[in-house]
Amino acid sequence: MKTVTRRTVLKGAAGAGALAASARLAAPALAQGPGRTLRFVPQANLANFDPIWTTQYVVRNASALVWDMLYGVDDKLTPQRQMVEAEEVSGDGLTWTFRLRPGLKWHDGEPVLAKDVTASLARWCVRDSMGQMIAAIQNELTPIDDRTFRWVLKKPYPKMLFALAKSATPSAFMMPERIAKTDPFKQITEYVGSGPMKFVQSEWVPGAKAAFEKFPGYVPRQEPASWLAGGKVMLLDRVEWVIMPDPGTASAALQNGEVDWWENPISDLVPVLKANRNVAVDIADPLGNIGSFRMNHLYPPFNDVRARRAVLMAMSQEDYMRAIVGDDDKLWKPLPGYFTPGTALYTEEGGEILKGPRNLDAAKRLVAESGYSGEPVSCIVAQDQPITKAQGDVTADLLKRIGFNVDFVATDWGTVGARRAVKTPPGQGGWHMFHTWHAGSDCINPAPQIQLRANGDKAWYGWPKSDAVEAEINNWFDAKNVDEEKAVIRRLNKAALDFVVYAPTGFFLGYQAWRKNVSGIVKGPLPFFWNVNKASA
Amino acid sequence: MLAYVIRRILATIPVMAVVALFVFSLLYIAPGDPAAVIAGDQATPADVERIRASLGLDRPFLVQFGDWVWNIVHANLGTSMFTGLPVTKMIAQRLEPTLSLMAVTLVFAILVAVPLGVVAAWRAGSLLDRAIMAFAVFGFSVPVFVVGYLLAYVFALELEWLPVQGYTPLSEGLWPWFSNLILPAIALGCVYIALIARITRATMLEVLAQDYIRTARAKGIGQSGILFVHALKNASVPIVTVIGIGIALLIGGAVVTESVFVIPGLGRLTIDAILRRDYPVIQGVVVLFSFLYVLVNLLVDLVYTLLDPRIRY
Repeated sequence: MKTVTRRTVLKGAAGAGALAASARLAAPALAQGPGRTLRFVPQANLANFDPIWTTQYVVRNASALVWDMLYGVDDKLTPQRQMVEAEEVSGDGLTWTFRLRPGLKWHDGEPVLAKDVTASLARWCVRDSMGQMIAAIQNELTPIDDRTFRWVLKKPYPKMLFALAKSATPSAFMMPERIAKTDPFKQITEYVGSGPMKFVQSEWVPGAKAAFEKFPGYVPRQEPASWLAGGKVMLLDRVEWVIMPDPGTASAALQNGEVDWWENPISDLVPVLKANRNVAVDIADPLGNIGSFRMNHLYPPFNDVRARRAVLMAMSQEDYMRAIVGDDDKLWKPLPGYFTPGTALYTEEGGEILKGPRNLDAAKRLVAESGYSGEPVSCIVAQDQPITKAQGDVTADLLKRIGFNVDFVATDWGTVGARRAVKTPPGQGGWHMFHTWHAGSDCINPAPQIQLRANGDKAWYGWPKSDAVEAEINNWFDAKNVDEEKAVIRRLNKAALDFVVYAPTGFFLGYQAWRKNVSGIVKGPLPFFWNVNKASA
Repeated sequence: MLAYVIRRILATIPVMAVVALFVFSLLYIAPGDPAAVIAGDQATPADVERIRASLGLDRPFLVQFGDWVWNIVHANLGTSMFTGLPVTKMIAQRLEPTLSLMAVTLVFAILVAVPLGVVAAWRAGSLLDRAIMAFAVFGFSVPVFVVGYLLAYVFALELEWLPVQGYTPLSEGLWPWFSNLILPAIALGCVYIALIARITRATMLEVLAQDYIRTARAKGIGQSGILFVHALKNASVPIVTVIGIGIALLIGGAVVTESVFVIPGLGRLTIDAILRRDYPVIQGVVVLFSFLYVLVNLLVDLVYTLLDPRIRY
C-alpha cells in the first residue's frame, strides 16, 4: 500500500499554491474588458425594454441611452430642446409647431422623420398621464413635412414642453413609425432608436446582461450636457449592464475592479466602499426619494379622515427615515408635505401635523372619535424590498401604540402589487395599508404625481376622493407662471394633508459608487452615461 | 434492458403531466400579478387591467391551462410575459452556466467526498474520523451563501486569485471558464461533500465488517486494495443513490450560488421569474428541472447494473 506522508501533502499544497499563483497572474485580464467599455450595475434587472409599455425606472434609464427625446429637462428641471430645433406656439396657445434638428438618424441609418415623431407621441399619449390630458384636448397631430409637425389643441396646455421633457415615466421617447405603431399595451420587439447608443439585442440576457454600443451617426447638441438636455457626447465605446441582485457581490466586484459603476449601493456597505482608495462614493440623485404608505379610503377605519389624521399625528418621520437609511443624517430630511425638497414648488403649507413632538394621546382620542371598533387593520408589507420592510416595521409598531389591532401581512412585492389593486373589503382579500416610495423627480409638481390624485375610482391605490385636492391639481395645470404655480401648490399641499391622501414618511437620499478611473459621473434622477469617461486602471 | 429504459422513459410522461398540472395550478392560485409589476408604480389601475387583459390573464383557468398544454405538446414553452422572448430561448441562454456549475460541483464533490468517507471509515473512531465528520456537519450546517461570501472575500478580494462573480462560456477558453466556477463549485459543493462523505463512511463501515473483507486481508491484499477495490465497489450502490438524490440539492443550491456569484444560470432565471410572477418562465423551468431529475434517477438505476451484476431489470 502506498502511504500518504506529510511530505506528499506539502507537495500537493505547493502545487495548489502554484496553480493559485498562476490564477492571480490571470486576474487582471478577468477584471477588464475591451477598451473604453464601462461595466455598470443597475438598480434592477432590465427585464424588458419598452419605455412606454412599462413605467419601471430601470427601463427608462436604459432607454435614455437608446431613444432620444424632443426635449429634455436640465438640472434646473427646465425643459430644453433636444431633437427639436425650434418650436412655435400660436398667440391663442392652441397650435404648436415643432421643427426637428437636421441630420437626425435612426440606428438603422434611416432619417428621423416627422411622421415617426407623431406616431411616437400618439403611443406615448395613451400611457402617460400628461399625454392623456393632451390627447383629451387634441384636435390634430400631423406631420407637415419631413422635419415639421403640428399639434393643434382645443384649449391651451401651458405645460406642453415639460410634458415632452420630463424624466418621470413614461418619458416621451421617440421611435421609428413602424415600431411606434405597436399597441401601447403590448411591448415592442425591435429596439431601434436615435439616441447616442445602440442596443445590442443579440447580447441581451434578461436578468444577467445588457450591452450598448456607441452610435457613430449620433450628432450631439452643442450646448453643455445637463441631465437629459444638452450635448450627449459619448466618450465610451460600449456600456455593459451587469445585473447583480446581491449587494454584497456588487460591492466586492466594484472593489475588485470587475465593474466600474454601481448605481445604488445599500447604506450598510457604503462605509466599506468609502474605505477603498480606488472607489468614489457620492449622492446619486439630489432629488432623492419620498417614502410613503397609503391607507384604503374605501373601508373603515381609514374611510374616516380622523383615523387617517390620527396616524399622521402620531407618526415620527425620523423613525421611518432611520429605519431606511440608518444613522447617516446627511441622507434624510423630514418632509411635511408632498413635494420634493429643494425644488421650486416645495412647500410645507399645512404640514404642522407632521412637525414637532408626536402626540400619541391625542392620536388615540382621534382614533376613538373615528368610531374604530377594534377590527384588524391589515398592513401588507413587502419583505423583499428593504425600503418597504423598514417602513412596515415602523408602521406596525406605530399602529399598535395608538390602539389599532394590527394584522401584519408579511409578503413579497409581487403580491403587494396584486393585492393593492383589490377593492374588496380587507377581510375578503382587500387591504388597509401598504408601503412604497416615490422618486423625488416624480414629485416636483403634480403632473407625474399620480399618487396625489384624489379622483376616487380613477385615483391610485387607496382610491382617495377629494374635490378640493382635485380642483387644486387642475388649477396647477392651468397656471400660467411660476408664481401662480407656487400659490396653487401651497393650497394643494394643505388640502392633501388635511385630507391625508397618503402619508409621507420622509425624504431620503441614496448613494452611487464608482471606480476612481471613471470620470464625468453626475448626480441626477437617472444615470447619465454621456460625457462619462474611463481611464486605464 | 432496452425495454426497461423505454418503459422508464414512457413512465416519465404521466409524471411530467402531474408536475405540469401541479405547477400550473399552484401558480394560478398563488397571489401576485405580473401585470402590476410590468406596469410599474407610475401606472394607473386601469392601465394594469389593460395589460392583464393583453397578457390573457383574465381568461378562465381551464382556458389558460389548455393553451399551455397545447403549446407544450407542440414543444413550445410559451413566451415570457416580461421580456417577450420565447421561454425556450431564455432557457437555452441559461442552460450552459447551470450545467457547468453542476458538473464541476459534482466532480469536485465526488473527488473529495468519497476518499474522505473511505478514510473516515478506515480510521473509524480516530481523531481523523472525527475531524472529517466535523467537517461534514459544518458543510451541511453552514448556508451556501455564507460559504460563498467567505470564499469571495478571501480568494477574490484579499488574495485576488479569482474573480468575484460572473461566468465565461467554455467556448472562450478552458481557464476563463473554470476560474469563474471554482469558488461557486466549492461553495455549492460543501453540502454535497458532507452528504456523500457521511453516506460513504456509513456504508463502508458496514462493508468493512463483512467476512469477505477479513478473507481478503487474510489473503494479504493491501489496505488500498481492500478499501478501494473490494470494499468501495460493494458500498457504491447506496453512494450512487445519494449522489442521484443529491442532484435535487444541487438544483436548489444552484439558485443561491448563482445569485451570490452572479452566474446567469437557470437558478437565477427561476428566482427572477418567481419574484416577477413570470408564469410561462416559471412553468418552463420547473418542468425542465423535473424532467432532468427524472432522467437522473433513470441514469442512477442504470448505473446500479454496472456496479452490481446481480441487479437486472
